[in-house]
Amino acid sequence: MDSLEYIDAYFSGETPQEETRQFEQRIQDDPAFAEEVAFYLTAREASKEELVEERKRDFRALYRRADAVAKFRPALIRRLLPAVAAAALISAIALCWYLFAGPKTGPKLADRYIQENLQLLSVKMGAMDSLQMGLVLFNDGKFIEALQEFEKIIQSDSSNSTAVKDAGITSLRLEDYDRALYFFRNLEIRNHLHLNPGLFYEALTLMKRNFNGDAAQAKHLLQEVIQRNLDKKEDAVELLKKM
Amino acid sequence: MSITSPFSDADGQIIELLLQNGLDKRRGEDALFTRYDYFIREGMSKLGLSEDESFNAYSDSVLAAIEKISNGTFEGRSSLKTYLYQIFHNKCVDLLRKNSTNKSSIHRTDSISERLLHITDKARSAVQVLIDKADWKLLKEKLTQLGDDCRKMLMLWADNFSDRQIAAEMEYKTSDVVKTSRLRCLEKLKRLYKTV
Repeated sequence: MDSLEYIDAYFSGETPQEETRQFEQRIQDDPAFAEEVAFYLTAREASKEELVEERKRDFRALYRRADAVAKFRPALIRRLLPAVAAAALISAIALCWYLFAGPKTGPKLADRYIQENLQLLSVKMGAMDSLQMGLVLFNDGKFIEALQEFEKIIQSDSSNSTAVKDAGITSLRLEDYDRALYFFRNLEIRNHLHLNPGLFYEALTLMKRNFNGDAAQAKHLLQEVIQRNLDKKEDAVELLKKM
Repeated sequence: MSITSPFSDADGQIIELLLQNGLDKRRGEDALFTRYDYFIREGMSKLGLSEDESFNAYSDSVLAAIEKISNGTFEGRSSLKTYLYQIFHNKCVDLLRKNSTNKSSIHRTDSISERLLHITDKARSAVQVLIDKADWKLLKEKLTQLGDDCRKMLMLWADNFSDRQIAAEMEYKTSDVVKTSRLRCLEKLKRLYKTV
């Protein structure tokens, strides 16, 4: 039997009891075999360390994304306000042209969906907490201020999935697609939610962004929403029909 | 007397995911990391660590917790947050006391010793001497030259995945095919390592 296979069988517990003594004796008598055993164990440990390093690199990427959101300071928002206002005006004009004269593409479908479903977010009557304040600001069209409110909530309680969803929708309305995707992907991994529209909104954002490959990826995600019977399944079916 | 779980719904979901394999486990790992990543800021503000030190302590804590949960040795006597914080705090204190010098090699020795536990003393020390002489840096460098499939397969094997689980994860037909491929990958790694 090949050495590595023999060694693998021993450490997998597949070697018969009567042969284990023979295995141990061979380590002492045969230096080349002892070296093979040492290599087997070293290779396994080196692979484990490689795995740990890979996971730490992934964690660092996750942390950087979250940190970037936390460092999104109000001063920066204020500095960007005039530019954002001008961009909004230009976008509104462009949108009108786009909706009535533009080509029938993913972005147009996404725009229609946003126009019909994400113009106003539902506000609860009664006590006005930070979340409700954010929703009121959103409904008043004050997206930057609304996003600030939602991010404040997330910073103090990262488990608040409603704030994550609303921060994503607000980012989408601000056409900050990377930020919107960050929030929706963060929402998507929260498997405990009874209704989780994260995957659907991720698809919608990709349709709207329309970078190279986004349309295909959006289509794939919408199909996944339908297959996995996730929240917004009916909307996914409608969008797919029109794509 | 009623018994209540120390876990919130979200923690319970994370633990459930960590007990799965593949993509679900990966989601659980990411969810655990992001759920308590504010510990990193606490390590900086309360214990005076640099961001990098605090991040490393937190990542190592999350990975240690994942291992305990995945292999079923986490007993669940405290909440996930308390458990993770205990590990994190100990790692931070270790860092502050500068007790963690050459920590990875200590961990490495412990981990290999577990595998050598059932071998007689004489055989164990013969292997240990050879392991101590290994060029870990070179071995890891050669590991990256193996190609993605081989590298992934060896990493899953090192993470205690059975050949059957590797077959499911990497879409191989049978566990026998995985075993043959895995041993071929090891053989290839040995060739690369020894021919330098």
